[in-house]
Amino acid sequence: MSVALAVVVGGLFAVGTFLLLRRDLIRVVLGIAALSQGTFVYLISMGGVEEGTGDLVPVLGHHGGGVPEVADPVVQALVLTAIVISFGTTALALVLSYRAYEENETMDVTEWTG
Amino acid sequence: MSWHVIAPLLVALVTAVLTLVLRAWPRIQVAASVAGVVGYVAAVAGSVWTVVLGPTAPGVAVYQVGNWPAPFGITLVLDGLSAFMLTIAASLGLASMLFSVRYMIAENQRVYYHPLFHLLLVGVSGAFLTGDLFNLFVWFEVMLIVSYVFVAFYGTELATAASFRYLTMNVFGSALMLVAVGGLYAATGTLNMADMARRLADPAAYGVDPAPVVGLSALLLAVFALKAGLVPFQFWVPAAYTTAPPPVTAMFAGVTKKVGMYAVVRLYFTVFAAGSVSADVPGIAGTSPLAFLAPVLGAMAIASIAVGAFGAVGQDRLEGVFAYSSIGQVGFIALPIAVAAAAGPAGTLRRVAIAAALVYAFHHALTKGLLFLSAAVVKDAVGTDDLRNLGGLAGRSPVLAGAVLIGLLSLVGIPPLIGFFGKFLTFDAAVRGLGFGPGALSALALAASLIGAVLTILYATRVWVGGFWGPKTPAVEVAAADSGQIAVVAALAAVVVLVGVGFDPVYRFAETAANAAVDSEAYVDAVGLGGGGGR
Repeated sequence: MSVALAVVVGGLFAVGTFLLLRRDLIRVVLGIAALSQGTFVYLISMGGVEEGTGDLVPVLGHHGGGVPEVADPVVQALVLTAIVISFGTTALALVLSYRAYEENETMDVTEWTG
Repeated sequence: MSWHVIAPLLVALVTAVLTLVLRAWPRIQVAASVAGVVGYVAAVAGSVWTVVLGPTAPGVAVYQVGNWPAPFGITLVLDGLSAFMLTIAASLGLASMLFSVRYMIAENQRVYYHPLFHLLLVGVSGAFLTGDLFNLFVWFEVMLIVSYVFVAFYGTELATAASFRYLTMNVFGSALMLVAVGGLYAATGTLNMADMARRLADPAAYGVDPAPVVGLSALLLAVFALKAGLVPFQFWVPAAYTTAPPPVTAMFAGVTKKVGMYAVVRLYFTVFAAGSVSADVPGIAGTSPLAFLAPVLGAMAIASIAVGAFGAVGQDRLEGVFAYSSIGQVGFIALPIAVAAAAGPAGTLRRVAIAAALVYAFHHALTKGLLFLSAAVVKDAVGTDDLRNLGGLAGRSPVLAGAVLIGLLSLVGIPPLIGFFGKFLTFDAAVRGLGFGPGALSALALAASLIGAVLTILYATRVWVGGFWGPKTPAVEVAAADSGQIAVVAALAAVVVLVGVGFDPVYRFAETAANAAVDSEAYVDAVGLGGGGGR
């Protein structure tokens, strides 16, 4: 499972970075999204993805004692927050790219006047 | 449980919502916005006095959100360091808002200018107050999303391009920060800064492996350097600073840039300083994240001073000169922090050096705020801020010219202005650092500061001679500056002089802040990790 997640995270980062370096604005925005997805998967995996035991929850494991078999709720809360922020940022990026398209009449960053 | 901690945050948030509701009535909205920023200053002053500076002040106050005990809930902490940074934000926020009311045209003020401005204050205050690593990320995002909109505010081609680039880069930075935060959570088992400091101080007792912390802290350094605009992450600064509305540029340079430096000081000196790892990395002799921080941050600072100063000399527009100068000045703030990191935890050098960085940050906020606002006045009155079309402004508007002269002299570091003390303390820290640890760092720091200072004189002279002396150009001849704008700039200039003349209380405040920054035991005690129950 860890190997699969590591591959996913690595793949998303690779794709995200590749797209981020494209000249087409939409691809750059998609790159932003893919990169963010990579960090979300990474964050989830930080809570442990094995079947739930007390040891998998760092915050409980280090602070409590007898803990139930649960997945780590903290990382899920973190990811939820991060996803909301990422949605907002991606939406803003799309608006900006549309605006840039209107001004320059091209989606190619290298043809921008600004 | 102390309401003083969240008072500034609440005032700014309520004002942001209020100005959003009142947007149909522009005059009332502006009044509410100004009242809100005055309220923010009052809230910061009240909190800082009650918690940190007053005769019976406890020195640190904690607010646990929702009354959840410390390591589990969200903690907000107001200590000396946060108080100092909030004071910077409040003083520049007031000047910048008053200036905006007179500078921004009415149409633009209706387009969400005021709610955004207060949300910027919300994000900045939250970042200064939070005691939780993930919330630091959230407040950064609040601040950044507002910044993207402000950079794109004028909707020109340049503004959209600058905003898109700024956004893309910061999303990348945020992704790195999330990776670092997630990694730190996995490594230490907590997100609470105080809890993390406690665990890193005694890793064996908590079963924490501190080795990954060094690498993860390095990742965080890259993110914070990006926010602060240190070389090699400086390339977004000139475009973003010259396209945002000028009063907001003053806030960017004075306040949001400092958030990055604040985060470095807070995390490295309060949280990571306790940790020690016997890492065997070639070239870095040391056993903690701080040993790594010293040479890296030092190199970044020296490069920033060089890039900023040489860049500023070559610029023709006032805003461009000041934007590049900001890159150099933030190097001057980072330099003493690097010296502090190289110094041992015992002794006074670490505190003195951090105090120097804080004084420099305060100086830069006031002085650069003053200069950016003056550039805006010039642009508004003359129609351009290109030095080639300017000249003789001193004869046209002596008050404005006087204020700019004070700002430039402070930037150069002439006593008794605040800038002198910033430079003096930075040199002092570097000289004292010669006797500590790797003396080569301090020697290089000294050389870089000297070169930076000389180049500062060069571009300050160029601005003064090119813009304010000499014969009046046709554009200047007919220029009429707004008296309200000049009043704000003059008031800020008076503050620069006053703070310099009455420097002692400011230094004592900075000293208190530096003590709070390095005293991680007091920080841990104050947060009171009662809910932890140990291992």
